[in-house]
Amino acid sequence: MLQTSNYSLVLSLQFLLLSYDLFVNSFSELLRMAPVIQLVLFIIQDIAVLFNIIIIFLMFFNTFVFQAGLVNLLFHKFKGTIILTAVYLALSISLHVWVMNLRWKNSNSFVWTDGLQTLFVFQRLAAVLYCYFYKRTAVRLGDPRFYQDSLWLRKEFMQVRR
Amino acid sequence: MRADSGTRLEEGPPRPPRALPPVPSAIQDDVPLSRPKKKKPRTKNTLASASLEGLAQTAVRRPSESSEPPTKELEEHPEAPVQRRQKKMRPPIELETSFTQKKTSGSSLLQDENNIDGEPAEEAVIQKPRRKTKKTQPAELQYANELGVEDEDIITDEQNSPEQQSIFTAPTGVSQPVGKVFVEKSRRFQAADRSELIKTTENIDVSMDMKPSWTTRDVALSVHRAFRMIGLFSHGFLAGCAVWNIVVIYVLAGEELSNFSNLLQQYKTLVYPFQSLLYLLLSLSTISAFDRIDFAKTSIAIRNFLALDPTALASFLYFTALILSLSQQMASDRIHLYTPSSVNGSLWAAGIEEQILQPWIVVNLVVALLVGLSWLFMSYRPGMDLSEGILEKIV
Repeated sequence: MLQTSNYSLVLSLQFLLLSYDLFVNSFSELLRMAPVIQLVLFIIQDIAVLFNIIIIFLMFFNTFVFQAGLVNLLFHKFKGTIILTAVYLALSISLHVWVMNLRWKNSNSFVWTDGLQTLFVFQRLAAVLYCYFYKRTAVRLGDPRFYQDSLWLRKEFMQVRR
Repeated sequence: MRADSGTRLEEGPPRPPRALPPVPSAIQDDVPLSRPKKKKPRTKNTLASASLEGLAQTAVRRPSESSEPPTKELEEHPEAPVQRRQKKMRPPIELETSFTQKKTSGSSLLQDENNIDGEPAEEAVIQKPRRKTKKTQPAELQYANELGVEDEDIITDEQNSPEQQSIFTAPTGVSQPVGKVFVEKSRRFQAADRSELIKTTENIDVSMDMKPSWTTRDVALSVHRAFRMIGLFSHGFLAGCAVWNIVVIYVLAGEELSNFSNLLQQYKTLVYPFQSLLYLLLSLSTISAFDRIDFAKTSIAIRNFLALDPTALASFLYFTALILSLSQQMASDRIHLYTPSSVNGSLWAAGIEEQILQPWIVVNLVVALLVGLSWLFMSYRPGMDLSEGILEKIV
């Protein structure tokens, strides 16, 4: 059974990482006095997303549903989050690599092309959706029914077996 | 404690041995023991032999025995004053944990021997008080369980007749629960009422049950509500910011948007801070709006949108505003890097200003309108939150 204190701690960590992600997405263009600042911000941002993925998977492994072998059920319930997070990480890394590659010599140069602009829009949109889905999943994983045997789980199990 | 021993004295007549005060086995009325502690081995022997005599004696002496011993002892033994002092001291001494332990070790030896010899009930019952005190030690740790003794087990027996208790019955050595419970307070065992203690332990249980009521679901719900509050704030703040922004742009651009160079010069320092703030607030507002319509359940969200639910409409408008705002990133960066066309390497060639700024201003205006409209829609049903209902009910 998930302890309330542990869950609170994990949830705080997740929200901290999400907040950092939102902060970098919002203010990275503003904080580009030197290319190295942006580089550090981007690296930490990508690591934060990676950490969030690890944490959410550890939370999945901790559920009774997962331990009962109903991995499919978990995946079905949270596939949106899993896919979006993976897509967002890929988009973030590619945008960061691209932007840093163009701005490494001179951080105040005009580097925008249509391709970069498109990637930028998609990455930022994915960030919002990732934030929403991730937050929702993290909050929903606090439901005690995920951590104990219940009628709901048995019903779901029967549905999966069919 | 005194009250307890008193009750034992009252119990006396039907069950004589129990009536004896809870003294060390050495101070028995039948056995003349002047120095009980020094001559332990002898004591045992005399006890063993005396116990056999006791078999015969008890049957004869039983009725008067219980009330007599204290006075008898005083008469029989020369060291009576000492014993009296001991007796006076007895209740507190007996309460001493260490003392009790010492004695129990000695008395257990005696008891074992007595059992072998087929000792009468008299001897066994003398041991009883000690056993009781001994029992209170573990009971102190888990007295909650021990307290759950049924009332009928407690000896308040006046009705037990001597006939019922055969003198040949082997001593069982099993202690009976008493009405009092001995609780150790400041290194002394003190008698406390059982029913009162049960009440207090029940209260503790209740308070222990209250604690885990703060479950993970409550944590999740409180976090969700906290975020909804942040979202509510961001809706209004975003609408205000967007309106302020468009007003500033129009003021700087002059009448009929004739003074673009002034706008660029003044606004180039503001463009990125505002763009960043706009993205931050738009993200928060969009997430909050999605939360309210439970966007993850697409079918419900689409149905709500088609039914022209204000919250669903607002979330759609927020998302559109977000896309529009992001699409202006290239233009914003160009404004941020503005240098007059006369400067070498300028991004702003002569005559290009209107071409770039016109759509940029229109998009900003549309964003401001969308955001303002969304705020109105949100405030139409501020309490709506489908996610919370789902969090509370179904997984």
